Amino acid sequence: MSDPLLSVQGLSVSYGRVQAVRDVAFEAAEGSLVTLVGANGAGKTSVLNAVAGLLKPRQGKVLYDGNDVTRWPAHRLVDAGLVQVPEGREVLASMTTHENLQLGGWHRKETSAASIDEMYVRFPVLAQRRELPAGALSGGEQQMLAIARALIAKPRVLLLDEPSMGLAPKVVDEVFRVIEEIRASGTTVVLVEQNARRALRAADFGYVLETGSLAHSGPGTQLLADERVINAYLGID
Amino acid sequence: MLSDYSATLTLIALTAIFAYSFYAVLLAGQLSLGQAGLASLAGFSATIVVPDDPIAGLSPLVVGIPVGMAVGALVAFLLGLPVMRLRGVFLAIATLGFGEMVRIVLINAEWTGGAQGTTLPKLVTPGIAWGALLLVAYWFWRLGGSRLGRALAALREDELAARAMGVDVSRYRMTAFVTSGAVAGLYGVLIAYFSRFITPDDFGFSAAVDGLVTAVVGGSLMFLGPLLGSAFLTSVPEVQRALGVEAGWIRPFLSSALLLVVILFLPGGLSSLIPRWRSPKVDPDVSPPELAPLPARGSPVLSLTGLGKAYGGLHAVRDVDLELRSGEVLGLIGPNGAGKTTLVNLISGLAAPTSGSGTVLGRELGPIGRGHLFAKAGVSRTFQHSKLFDRLTVLENALVGAHVVSRPTLLRRLLWLPSARRDEQRALAQAGAQLTRVGLGDRAGVPAGELAYGDRRRLEIARALAGHPTLLILDEPAAGMNHVEARELSTLIRSLADDGITVLLIEHNVRMVLETCTRILVLNFGEVIAAGDPATIAKDPVVIEAYLGSDGPADTRV
Amino acid sequence: MQQVLNGIFAGSIYALFAIGFTLVFGVLDRLNLAHAATFTVSAFLGIELVADLGLSIWAAIPAVLVFGALLGLIIERLAFRPLKGRNDAHFAGLISSIAVGGMFMALLLARYGPDTRRFPAEAFPTTDFQLGGVRITLLQLVILGVSLGLMLGLAFLVNNTGLGRGMRAVAENPHAARVLGVNVDRVTATTFAISSALGAVAGVLLAFYVNSAQMTMGFNIELKGLAVIIVGGMGSLKGAMVGGIALGLAEVFAVQYVGSSWRDVVAFGMLFGILLVRPQGLFGPRQVREV
Repeated sequence: MSDPLLSVQGLSVSYGRVQAVRDVAFEAAEGSLVTLVGANGAGKTSVLNAVAGLLKPRQGKVLYDGNDVTRWPAHRLVDAGLVQVPEGREVLASMTTHENLQLGGWHRKETSAASIDEMYVRFPVLAQRRELPAGALSGGEQQMLAIARALIAKPRVLLLDEPSMGLAPKVVDEVFRVIEEIRASGTTVVLVEQNARRALRAADFGYVLETGSLAHSGPGTQLLADERVINAYLGID
Repeated sequence: MLSDYSATLTLIALTAIFAYSFYAVLLAGQLSLGQAGLASLAGFSATIVVPDDPIAGLSPLVVGIPVGMAVGALVAFLLGLPVMRLRGVFLAIATLGFGEMVRIVLINAEWTGGAQGTTLPKLVTPGIAWGALLLVAYWFWRLGGSRLGRALAALREDELAARAMGVDVSRYRMTAFVTSGAVAGLYGVLIAYFSRFITPDDFGFSAAVDGLVTAVVGGSLMFLGPLLGSAFLTSVPEVQRALGVEAGWIRPFLSSALLLVVILFLPGGLSSLIPRWRSPKVDPDVSPPELAPLPARGSPVLSLTGLGKAYGGLHAVRDVDLELRSGEVLGLIGPNGAGKTTLVNLISGLAAPTSGSGTVLGRELGPIGRGHLFAKAGVSRTFQHSKLFDRLTVLENALVGAHVVSRPTLLRRLLWLPSARRDEQRALAQAGAQLTRVGLGDRAGVPAGELAYGDRRRLEIARALAGHPTLLILDEPAAGMNHVEARELSTLIRSLADDGITVLLIEHNVRMVLETCTRILVLNFGEVIAAGDPATIAKDPVVIEAYLGSDGPADTRV
Repeated sequence: MQQVLNGIFAGSIYALFAIGFTLVFGVLDRLNLAHAATFTVSAFLGIELVADLGLSIWAAIPAVLVFGALLGLIIERLAFRPLKGRNDAHFAGLISSIAVGGMFMALLLARYGPDTRRFPAEAFPTTDFQLGGVRITLLQLVILGVSLGLMLGLAFLVNNTGLGRGMRAVAENPHAARVLGVNVDRVTATTFAISSALGAVAGVLLAFYVNSAQMTMGFNIELKGLAVIIVGGMGSLKGAMVGGIALGLAEVFAVQYVGSSWRDVVAFGMLFGILLVRPQGLFGPRQVREV
């Protein structure tokens, strides 16, 4: 069995004196979909930010494609194919949809018009909104834009932070369909979600975080059926 | 030789006074650069009224100084009215522009002598200069321990939190501004009658920058700052001269380089090198102030009707109806982005509703800017991302919380009146009691920025309690706490409720909410999706789905 | 009409200077008060290149552009990069840039002394044109051309290139920019370099216009530059251009109708006016941040 494409070991993250994440470890084999679930404040976003190079972890290691990338800054990771779709989408509201997509390939000098056109084919709604400022798009459309933008960077590993947040159920279906397609095309996906059920159903493997530490882990379907997971969310003994 | 030193000494004093005028606004976290213009106006106004001969044996300055200070204060007030709402860089530029306008207007005016300037008798002796400086320094020293001084320091650290504690931000900002004007006016008069010759050009951009630099190098966190800054910067050229460094370009180069080094490596200025003495101890014999009793159980605390808040097209909160009565512990839960914090901002007066209406403890919800009045009415709150005054100690944070129940002390402190000390002690007792209540009694002297996370959350609560609130709003107080800490918090909240405080609690830790609250409200997408007692809510499928998420269109299992 | 043209020429220089200011503020949320020193130093350098090294005044412009860019990189390194992440970074940045500006001015004093310097008389072309009763010199046309050209070039860069998109991304949301893989440090340094390069050219152009350079030219234009960017809207390139030209015109008319000693007040009159009526400036962002 080959090494996992992405492997996180002993990760601890602090903001000043606040320790948000304590000794978290997980891994993602190439082509798999791995999910991190947990209640709010459990530290999921902090983990993802550390992996994506936006935060320096206090301790721990991030191994990607055989390299120790723990201290790599975000732009270097994006270059290497590790791309995040951040929480809250963070599209650049004042720039047009098209410009947002162009930014997705910022580091690549040769982002061809072709790869952007591919995105328009895949997400027709974006083509319709091409010249509109991204701030005018609906929540679901912005989520598609954020994902498309990340895909232009041709990621090997895609980190998704709460893609369903604030979206209506029907739109969430769309989003998960897209995520499935992405996984099917061979990209490794690390999905952080509050919507535990959807995420666990889609995942090959799941990790449950509780107040900054790993509480449970296992194949997605197994965790779905596990009473303890549900109770961890609702805090019932 | 001796006269050389006398001039240098006087100059140190006067430069320090000018630096104090910057200090006065930096205290409140404002960067105003109009002091040179104010000094200019004051100085030239004084030339009109100061007589040539002594009056009744007193120096003619006896007329000049009050006039100068009054002019400085008045113009500062007038300038402040439009300019006060500007923040940061905008304020700096506007005030700089003001200074420049003053310079040009005065240069073109005949009564000032224009660019030719005015010649004046030398009336300022080192004694007068140092006397004035000591009075100014005394004022700021006494300000430091007063209620006003603490409120200014708080508003500099975090304006929103200060407002939530009942600090009237606009009024206090203006107070700092006017004080700065008066001190600048004093400087203007003194420097005029010291230099014996002034032109409006002496009070231009570079003078303003020099004053700012002095204040910053000295440090704006402690009252000795301006004095240190002035002594240091005035002696640097003297030292250079003594070392044989010629005038010309080397001196300004070294001064600028020194400034760069100070700001990069010593952000608190020279005065940060002086160890701060710890906050006053709480006198165990003094009891907390007489506080109004809390309202009887069951009396209305808040009432919201169709309340809504929209940002552009986005409805953060929509159509919320809520009645809250004294003695309840209401839990507000819901997934991320459900609108809980927005709702709480509306209730605590920090945001204005865009639809519907509400009353909290007799106050109508309405346009913002009156947030501090809600604190006065008895509403107190903590914040989701803790907004402590990091550079103040634990005790000082709690003291700011007690702002609405303590009395102003500055004027009495200037005279060392014992009643001021008694009021201070009472406020300290109140603050100290709350710290003990949350278990922070032994950390009173620690700067808030150095506290561990759990302690920070507890300090937020102590600070909110110090204001003797009727309604206490806690925004995710248990965030980041483990089960044990959360349980302790739950016990504390219930004890507060037993004491008669109404509590509104936002939390993600659903178990804690189920254990602590008498009633629960569930929000999603800005609307109330469920309300009721804990047992009912725990079993409500709508609630469970909102948290755990649905399985997808085909699945209706719970 | 002659006056209008004079106003436009002076205004284009103001605009070029102001655009450097507003670029750094817009992208990085920082006010670089060493910009005026860059302006002054470049003016003197321009004169030295022409008077002592025999460069033609046309060649002096690109030379100064490059020099200005270097100064910009130095300013960023010394005054702003060390403050990254500090919570008083805004305030400290003002002071540190004042300090670095002071250091530049001291070095300037060392090299050139305190006196005013002028171009040698023969350096300027004597061609001029008559257009319907108005006289325009070649020099003035070049000043206008270079200013407008650089400003339009900047606008093109910001709106149409990858670097420009990166700058706009950092301006709007530095966190999102980082997530996207934008090298924020590199964009920051480049922004400073461009900003100072423009300020440097503004300096040498003003030296052309008034045929002199003196130590105080920096103070004067710094304040006017600040007024222009507030009137135009902090962070708005269009605002800086329009504001600069408006100021140039307003000053010319003030001198015409009120008196030359009141010329400098115009800038502040406009400044206060705008602050009272429309604090975000003519082209500034729609709303000031709320709670």
